Amino acid sequence: MPRVKIRELRDDYARFELRDTDASIANALRRVMIAEVPTIAIDLVEIEVNSSVLNDEFIAHRLGLIPLTSDRAMSMRFSRDCDACDGDGQCEFCSVEFHLMAVCRNDETQDVTSSDLISSDHTVVPVDYSESAASIDASDGGGITIVKLRKGQEVKLRAIARKGIGKDHAKWSPAATVTFMYEPEIHINEDLMESLTLEEKKEWVESSPTPVFEIDQVTQQVMVVDAEAYTYDDEVIKKAEAMGKPGLVEINAKQDSFIFTVETTGAIKASQLLLNAIEILKQKLDAVRLSEDTVEADDQFGELGAHMRGG
Amino acid sequence: MNAPDRYERFVVPEGTKKVSYERDTKIINAASVTIEREEHTIGNIIRMQLHRDENVLFAGYKLPHPLQYKIIVRIHTTGRSDPMQAYNQAINDLDRELDHLKKSFEV
Repeated sequence: MPRVKIRELRDDYARFELRDTDASIANALRRVMIAEVPTIAIDLVEIEVNSSVLNDEFIAHRLGLIPLTSDRAMSMRFSRDCDACDGDGQCEFCSVEFHLMAVCRNDETQDVTSSDLISSDHTVVPVDYSESAASIDASDGGGITIVKLRKGQEVKLRAIARKGIGKDHAKWSPAATVTFMYEPEIHINEDLMESLTLEEKKEWVESSPTPVFEIDQVTQQVMVVDAEAYTYDDEVIKKAEAMGKPGLVEINAKQDSFIFTVETTGAIKASQLLLNAIEILKQKLDAVRLSEDTVEADDQFGELGAHMRGG
Repeated sequence: MNAPDRYERFVVPEGTKKVSYERDTKIINAASVTIEREEHTIGNIIRMQLHRDENVLFAGYKLPHPLQYKIIVRIHTTGRSDPMQAYNQAINDLDRELDHLKKSFEV
């Protein structure tokens, strides 16, 4: 039965270990996190005034890619499934309305950013990237730049944001990157290692592109300093063979132990993304159950049924 | 110009069933389950779970064509079980495994 152990957890980043489960489930979770966890993103833009240097569809495209805080997404309905609205997919249950009004009146270039978007629902707003690291550069609390205006240029528009999934369009994907790797098991053959001079040991440790091994200053022994930095390139193995010492180290991938790295765009918290992914995967499995009536109907109306009745 | 709409990958159209079941005429205890608008995400985990069942002799899935958004899962069982039972059992086991995973994460 699967176990999870969290290594690192931040708002938009999570690193955890998934044990005692199969690669297909790890991969299914990865695929669902990227493509099937729902988010909210701008999907319809009505432009009233646009005298900027970017054309209408260019601005509409950029608006669609802005990440919006989507905690509401799991409980919201898809526009196509909504019966409350009059068919145009714009009611309060299935969509969120945004307004953007910007006009440049001074000589300086005005930056229209995601913070200028006004939402009709305060729980669905453009993600704020200003709080943590590196706010000294261009993104100084302004948000994502949509368009820049010169004196006299104006942009006035109304946008509708809807629920969607990454499979439909990448703007709805809540994941920046989701990766998993097999946990490596490294065994150093100590006897063979002893037969190497310090120079040879240093050379061998250097041959690894990532810092997996290190030579302990005191004991002059080769130690594994970061097993997970190993990227399954066989450089150290090839180097050992080239030096005439095959079998110097044995590296196996543990077949049921995975290390996941999840980074989100900020639309959903990293921990919440994993929980939503599990929920979505369960929903998908529930949707494909076979019931007695499906089987009966197929017997009756399927090709075999027709054949048996002489059709 | 000829590209189908993106939502075709996951929206089952009116009149098409999500899951259908067809028994094999020539082999006993063998059947194919066709699942519309699903792909490797579901296909691989169902196949893997079916392999863990000792009553299942054969289990495999395929996408007949990458532009046709469906999968076909083929199951052969021994006399002690039947394909539909094995399939539903596999889904129940996966559901339980995911429940366990969710609980283990929330702690």
